[in-house]
Amino acid sequence: MTFQLASEFTQVSLAHFIIFSALLFVVGLAGFLTRRNLIVMFLCTELMFQAALVAFVAFGRYWFNYSGQVFVIFILTVAAAEAALALALVVLLHRRRGSLNADDWKELRER
Amino acid sequence: MIDVTLQLARIIQAMPPVPASEVVTDTGQWWIGFILWCPLISLVLCGLCAACRVKSKLPAWITVFSLAISFVLTLLLASMDSPPERVELFKWINVHWDGGSFVANFAFYIDSLTILWMSFVTGLGALIALYASEYMEPDVGRGYSRFFAGISVFLFAMICLVMGDNLLMLYLGWEGVGFASYWLIGYYYQKPQAVAAAKKAFIVNRIGDLGLALAIYLIWSTFGTIQYNELISVLDAGTYSPVYENWSVQAIPYLLMLAAFGKSAQLPLYVWLPDAMEGPTPVSALIHAATMVTAGVYLVARMYPFFLLAPESLHVVAWVGGLTALLAATIGMAQYDIKRIFAYSTISQLGYMFLGLGVLTTYGAAYHVFTHAFFKAVLFLTCGAIMHGFAGQLDLRKISGLRRMKGWRIVSWTMFIGCLCLAGFPLTSGYFSKDAILAEAFVSHGPGFEVLGWIAIFTAFLTAYYTFRVWCRVCAGEVRYEPGDEHHGDDHDAETHGREFHPHAPRFAINIVLLLIAAGALLAAVPYFMGNEVEHATGGWVADMVNDSTAATGVPGHPEHPGTAAHGAEAHHGSILGMDPHVAMYSISACVGGLGLLLAFWLHLWRRQDADRLRSWLLSRFWTRWLPVAMENKWYVDEIYHAFIRAPLWLFGHIFYAIDRYIIDGLLVDGTARLPRLLARCFQPLQNGMLQSYAVTMAGGAVLIALLMLLMLQFFTGGSVS
Amino acid sequence: MSWLLILLPLLGSMVIIVSPGRLAKQLALVTSLVVLGVSVAAAVVFDGWGRGTWELTSSVEWVKEWGLVLQVGADSVSLILVLLTTFLMPLAILGSFNAIQSRTKEYYGWLLGLQAAMTGVFLAQDLVLFYVCFEFTLVPMFFIIAIWGSKNRAHASVKFLIYTFTGSLITLAGFLTLAWSYAQANGGVWSFEIAALTNHAASALSLHEQAWLLLALLIGFGVKVPLFPVHTWLPLAHTEAPTAGSVLLAGILLKLGTYGLYRFVLPMCPEAVVEWAPIVAILSIIGILYAALVCWVQTDVKKLVAYSSVSHLGFCVLGLFALNPMGVEGSILYMINHGLSTGALFFLIGMMYERYHTRDMGELGGLARTMPIWATFMVFFVLSSIGLPGLNGFVSEFLCLIAAFTAGGSGAYPGVLGPWYAAIAALGMVLAAMYLLIMVGKVVFGPTKATLRHDEQSGLPVDLTVREITVLVPLAVGCIVLGIQPDLVIDNTATAVADTLAVYQGIFEESMPGAAAFVETALPGGAR
Repeated sequence: MTFQLASEFTQVSLAHFIIFSALLFVVGLAGFLTRRNLIVMFLCTELMFQAALVAFVAFGRYWFNYSGQVFVIFILTVAAAEAALALALVVLLHRRRGSLNADDWKELRER
Repeated sequence: MIDVTLQLARIIQAMPPVPASEVVTDTGQWWIGFILWCPLISLVLCGLCAACRVKSKLPAWITVFSLAISFVLTLLLASMDSPPERVELFKWINVHWDGGSFVANFAFYIDSLTILWMSFVTGLGALIALYASEYMEPDVGRGYSRFFAGISVFLFAMICLVMGDNLLMLYLGWEGVGFASYWLIGYYYQKPQAVAAAKKAFIVNRIGDLGLALAIYLIWSTFGTIQYNELISVLDAGTYSPVYENWSVQAIPYLLMLAAFGKSAQLPLYVWLPDAMEGPTPVSALIHAATMVTAGVYLVARMYPFFLLAPESLHVVAWVGGLTALLAATIGMAQYDIKRIFAYSTISQLGYMFLGLGVLTTYGAAYHVFTHAFFKAVLFLTCGAIMHGFAGQLDLRKISGLRRMKGWRIVSWTMFIGCLCLAGFPLTSGYFSKDAILAEAFVSHGPGFEVLGWIAIFTAFLTAYYTFRVWCRVCAGEVRYEPGDEHHGDDHDAETHGREFHPHAPRFAINIVLLLIAAGALLAAVPYFMGNEVEHATGGWVADMVNDSTAATGVPGHPEHPGTAAHGAEAHHGSILGMDPHVAMYSISACVGGLGLLLAFWLHLWRRQDADRLRSWLLSRFWTRWLPVAMENKWYVDEIYHAFIRAPLWLFGHIFYAIDRYIIDGLLVDGTARLPRLLARCFQPLQNGMLQSYAVTMAGGAVLIALLMLLMLQFFTGGSVS
Repeated sequence: MSWLLILLPLLGSMVIIVSPGRLAKQLALVTSLVVLGVSVAAAVVFDGWGRGTWELTSSVEWVKEWGLVLQVGADSVSLILVLLTTFLMPLAILGSFNAIQSRTKEYYGWLLGLQAAMTGVFLAQDLVLFYVCFEFTLVPMFFIIAIWGSKNRAHASVKFLIYTFTGSLITLAGFLTLAWSYAQANGGVWSFEIAALTNHAASALSLHEQAWLLLALLIGFGVKVPLFPVHTWLPLAHTEAPTAGSVLLAGILLKLGTYGLYRFVLPMCPEAVVEWAPIVAILSIIGILYAALVCWVQTDVKKLVAYSSVSHLGFCVLGLFALNPMGVEGSILYMINHGLSTGALFFLIGMMYERYHTRDMGELGGLARTMPIWATFMVFFVLSSIGLPGLNGFVSEFLCLIAAFTAGGSGAYPGVLGPWYAAIAALGMVLAAMYLLIMVGKVVFGPTKATLRHDEQSGLPVDLTVREITVLVPLAVGCIVLGIQPDLVIDNTATAVADTLAVYQGIFEESMPGAAAFVETALPGGAR
């Protein structure tokens, strides 16, 4: 029973990766929804990204298809560029308002 | 009493046919066109004068000269005594297609009726233009050219109307004279009343024009042509076949009637004519008394065969004419403005003419048109002279004893002649022409024609009364006057202000014209005594002229002639008080006229205070008060029209405009445009600017989609998700 | 030569845009005069007068596999309308010399662009070119209203654009369906040639399909005309547009609608037209009376004239749907006459507005005293507009009404309308006299208002300048000439109209046998 349990735990299957990825995504989402600091929110989106990447890698390994890995590399690169851009924007926004609170920026709402 | 339709059927059979072959199309007599071109040339020249700001009487001389040429040419035409002929000038509207065509050209149709009308239209036109050259003097250099251009337009249109060879050319003249009348009534365009009167004249006439237009449509669709000569031949041959069953032939006379009643100021469309007196007096004399208003009579006379096709329509004509005559006479009795009195008298006399047409004496109607043209022109022109001399004074209570004033003798005695003729004093022209109509009202048979005859006789009494009321008040009695407050021009102001008012008597041009036309009014009785070409006929020259034309009732000469179709056998001849109307009427109308004349002399010359006493007596009694009040207020016809026609239409205008703005444009058009926006409003709250809420929406959406996919998967694979 | 008529104004507009602004108006005038010259030359060499053939044709292949061949050409009706366009354009340009002071380059550029599009509509012989030009007229007019209009111009221009655009999109759908149906019937070969499509539509479509096509076309062209319930863009656009814009709107753009009805609706769906003509006629009669009454209560002179266009065009449509030669001839004449007289009225109102900066009848009055020349022209064109015989308006109105009257459905004059249609529509004649004369009475006559001040800044004298008179005189001459010689138009277009209506003769003969035979035997009018 214990062995079986151990064996089930030691044999890491696709489901584990997916569950991990989902958990990571939920953490990121929860963070994005609850926090108001722009940098934290940005980091949370990064977290969601990474969750997706984990899923990519896992599926790539599962199907023995390396496109998943390739995509990950691409996305990481894009994410890095994006991070630079986003941080720059955040800095600009901070300069404009002296705050990083996301609620301060509501100009685009209707009414 | 014989059945009317049967009687008319006989008339139609007896109608002298004018076969199409007899109508020659002639282009050889090139000069005939100049009857029409002369006023046109004069119009152009007057327009040039206006453009060049000519400061002399040049426009008047141009007009008088060209109208005189027209008159001379007309006389030349009359002297030729040719059968009906067509003279083609140029093509106007021609639409041809497979199996049909619509043709209306500028062409003349000249028969004796045309010549009869043309003779006094151009003759009086030239004379009155001469009169106006002096009358309009104060406006030299300002509206002078405009005035004479208007006169030329009028003559041009009137000649088109009378001489046109088809109904469309008649329509051109018909609207043209309406426009000329608009132009000239509104001559003093700074005066709001003049502008309103001009507008009213045009619009009321347009209602009549509508009738004429519809009649033309109907005639064309029934007979396939609108040219007189072809119409006549179709009528003769009887080859027409009404497109719209039988009613089209029946409806034509009623539509024509609407047109005639509009132009000739009959019930219910007479209201524009009294207001038209806002125009300069020569205009009132020429257009609103002598010529234009008789166009309705001309139309009915010209289209008489169509009326004979639907005989009941003639009864309507007779009754409308008779009632208008009475109504206008009662209003005329109670007015104080001389010009208005004569305006109502014109309406009343036109009523007589329609009565004449209705009781089958086109000859009587045409003769009355002819004599009326002269004596009414005289009356108006004397009015104009008075107005001119007394600075616009027209109130008969404020001028008296004109005949004793220096320089006014011609005016007062020509007015006397005019009044005699109008009152139908024995042996004057009006006497003969009116008698022809009065007698015929008793001779012909129709619904209530005897009553109508008595109405007409009573109206003759009123006519004599109100006519001499004017003369006795204005020309006779003690010398007394007050100037009016209107001035023809600014130079008069300088003259009248500061100094005491001196009436200035008419000079050469006015006097000579007055004398000439008064002579004409007297001489208009002469044609009655001229021998007839046809044996046993009476009525003289005018009767011949009428009976040679489309206006013939099928009777050569005076309908006294026994055995003619109009009256059937002698047994069916109507009678008055057991006597032959033709004979009896000479004495009856003389008595009635004399009575009216005496009454006028009594109330307005010998014992003027009695008139006031009578009025106050009527006013003091509750049961009689309505009579003078209603008469002085013209029976409130204008007010009734305003309330029942103009106001509702105006209201409809406002309602429609509101509908246009708020329902069609606001609700439907803009409403449709707003629909997308409304839809957007529903989803607007989602766009609240909060990053988190966007994220929630997005995540929720993603979850929703995932769930949906799962569900669908389950559905399609039968529930086995592995 | 047809291409030249379309491309010359375009070229001119481009030249104006690149040239210095102070030359803009002269250049525009010269261009439009040259185009006028070309069109007159075209009219002289034109062989189709009185023959109903298509002349001056030429085609350019674009994408042949899809049937996209741009073809131009003119029959007598189109050429007359082209002449109207080229005739009005120099006047519109000359009339704007003083009114347009800002952004002149763009203004004249757009005007000439508009001319190219309008000419294109009349000359197009294939649907693609027609539709492109038809829609392209919206663009210059949109900018002309939006930039140089008066107060409410933004709203007016947007409404004008969206309203007419929506209408013509439905027409496009109809056209495309027709072209598709043609391709189906011809083994997948597409063509947009108007003649081919017309034949196909008239012969191969069922009554049901024709009815749908009729509806689609009617919506687009009806908005343009404008027919009664879809007219509300017009008063707004006319009122807000600058003078030349109103003139061209009234003079030509509305005629695109009636031209469309004549060129497409009548020949393409004859059976459906016979079925539906009474309804269209009733709509136009409602339009005539309704707009006339609305005119009566207007206080803005320009709006009054704008609404009068709705009323007048009702006669035009009524004439078309009488489906007999007189009606269609009358309608074609009406297109021209309305262009002349209403165009002139807009010019006159514009000239007055430049001097007094008001169009309110309550503020105006007695202008005959101060501006006699202006007043003379005003009264003249008002008379032409209310249809005084001898002037142009009368002939067309008369023909339209008599055509509707006689199109009674039995006997010699077949048709689906009848006397009542004409009788009720004819009330519009009375109402027209009423509202226009009331306007004249208030504005031209009466005592001169003391409050009315001539604007010295406008740089215009009290009465009209020579330039302004030059604008009006050709229009007045046109009114007189067409009033006494309408044969100029009628004779020259008779055959073309007869060809268009030939299909109806068959339909009517089928439903009312013996109709034509009666004409020839019984009526003297027919015998000649």
